[in-house]
Amino acid sequence: MQKKKICMVGDFSVGKTSLTQKFVNNVFSDKYLTTIGVKIDTAEIDETKLIIWDVAGRDSLSPINASYLVGATGVVLVCDGARSSTVSDLLDIWKTVTDRIGEVPAVVALNKADLPEWNIDVSMYTAFEQRGWDVFATSAKEGDNVNKMFEKLVEKLSS
Amino acid sequence: MVDLTVQQKINEQLFEKLELAYFCVDHSMIIKDISDNLGDYGYGALKVGDNIEDCVDFMVGMDTKIELDLPLVASPSGTPISVSLLPSDNQLTVLIANASIQADQRQLLQQKANENELLVHQQKKLMAQLEQASLELEYKNKQLEEASRLQTSFLSGVSHEFRTPLTSIIGYTNLVKQDLQKVSQELVPRISRSDNSPHYLRAVQRSSKHLLSLVENLLDHGKLDSNEIVIRPKTTNIAELFEDVELLLQPLSNTKRIELVTDIKLPDNALAVLDDSRLRQCLINLVGNAVKFTDVGSVTLTVSLSDDMLVVKVVDTGLGISKADLEKIRLPFWQGADTGKAGTGLGLTITERLIELMGGELVIESELGRGTTVEFELPAPLVYRDEPANSLDDIPVQPLKILLAEDDSDIADLVCLMLGERGIDVQCVENGALAIEAVVQGTFDLILMDIHMPIMSGYDALAELRARGDNTPVVVMSASAVDADKAKAIDLGCRGYLVKPVDVDDIIGMAGQVIS
Repeated sequence: MQKKKICMVGDFSVGKTSLTQKFVNNVFSDKYLTTIGVKIDTAEIDETKLIIWDVAGRDSLSPINASYLVGATGVVLVCDGARSSTVSDLLDIWKTVTDRIGEVPAVVALNKADLPEWNIDVSMYTAFEQRGWDVFATSAKEGDNVNKMFEKLVEKLSS
Repeated sequence: MVDLTVQQKINEQLFEKLELAYFCVDHSMIIKDISDNLGDYGYGALKVGDNIEDCVDFMVGMDTKIELDLPLVASPSGTPISVSLLPSDNQLTVLIANASIQADQRQLLQQKANENELLVHQQKKLMAQLEQASLELEYKNKQLEEASRLQTSFLSGVSHEFRTPLTSIIGYTNLVKQDLQKVSQELVPRISRSDNSPHYLRAVQRSSKHLLSLVENLLDHGKLDSNEIVIRPKTTNIAELFEDVELLLQPLSNTKRIELVTDIKLPDNALAVLDDSRLRQCLINLVGNAVKFTDVGSVTLTVSLSDDMLVVKVVDTGLGISKADLEKIRLPFWQGADTGKAGTGLGLTITERLIELMGGELVIESELGRGTTVEFELPAPLVYRDEPANSLDDIPVQPLKILLAEDDSDIADLVCLMLGERGIDVQCVENGALAIEAVVQGTFDLILMDIHMPIMSGYDALAELRARGDNTPVVVMSASAVDADKAKAIDLGCRGYLVKPVDVDDIIGMAGQVIS
């Protein structure tokens, strides 16, 4: 079975850990506990074992530690659809990724789609698609599109 | 130089103190060496000869030739670790250190910082929502204001349209009544005692006046709703004002055979600053209501003045109001269900609001079957003046020459007739342009000017007269009771403003004031 390292990246409190936990353990918690450093989980999709690095989110105190990205073959760019700044921040975060490991396959999770205030600007959506990213409106709470998104990334890693 | 054995011992102690663990792999990721404490971090299953990528997740995808620090990695045992990848020529050494303390400290700081930032975001969002809600409210408020303005404009329009024909109805009814009196005096023997004409005329007069008060109440209610009523205090002979009210309502109480008692304790010729017309309106309403709802007994009006405060009390022995209804009587359009008394249900609402606007408060006490007491106090600062105020007696009624500009021929004829009967010479024209022409050709003591006229309005005529430097005093006589119309006319130089329907005494009184 082939092993692939992928990284969950995005601003703090966008739901990277929640998406990972929903995918790996099918659990969800409303309580916010910030991730320190990195947590590593694994999951299997078909013949691929995914090593998922749930990287601490970018915040005002600290940028993403690019060392964690070394060896990753793909990334999940996660933002909070109810916090517009986290959506536009994905472009900066993508630069951090490419500066360290170059262009790798990526998918975008427009998370928290279950919230009423979730609202994505059409121009941002178009900008993501133009970069060749597959974009998913996800809800870690309801599980919407979570598996589909990881499956898509694996598909991109294999092609 | 430190001995090598000593150096090794130091290293061992340092390893122990820092809880350091390690493993070494060759460039094919095969484990070559391990420390015996790897189990502390959940890597106890590692064996020399195994492929590291099968045993340690964080090593998947790593390059054995690149030096790398991975701080604060969650290890399988749950202990946060710091990982250092130290490459050399033939192997990669991976050092693992316990990072629990740093992780705990960082967790505390980071959690607080992130939560604060989320709070700030939430606050900003709420502020934006508040701002949006405030904008929406402002917009809705403007819409309501516009609706209210339209309502007032509609009411004033309706009021205007009603006043014009009412002026004719009331005026001509008076004339017919006077004619009838003359005829009956001259031809007493020939008029049958059963002739009901005077009775019919009184009914027409009563109904016309009721219709007029209804129109006035609707207009006032609309204006109060849109805050368009302005209180205009002026020096007033207050004793005279109350006597007027008494005189006005005495016939009504006589008709109902109830006693109207007045107890007016005011200094003779006392002058006070208040809005006499609005106070008169309130008094007529309150005393009128008391008479209306009293079938047996009396209505007592008590007035006193103390420390520049006017205290008014109206006590009746009438029907009274139940406790439940007492809360409703102040509502607009509310009328007692079982009283059988006609009205618009606006009088008390308007009176209460007017009293508030004048700086007072209306207090109502009542008990069903035992009568009602209404009371209010108003600021009424006294004025001391030697000169007596103008009265009708001072007005030089003759020989006056008045120019009347009025497009409604019925009203023009009526005013000519009424003033003619008082010996006043009236010349009548149909619009503002003709009025200007008449002023150029002749001399007048006074111009009575309607506002809404074809060809040239009263406003334009006023402006033209002013531009020509003509000093003939102008009194506007309009069906519009809107304050803005009155203010505009005064701005244009008119000296007095009468609202139709007007009584001949009103015209003569105003003429006296203006000319003097």
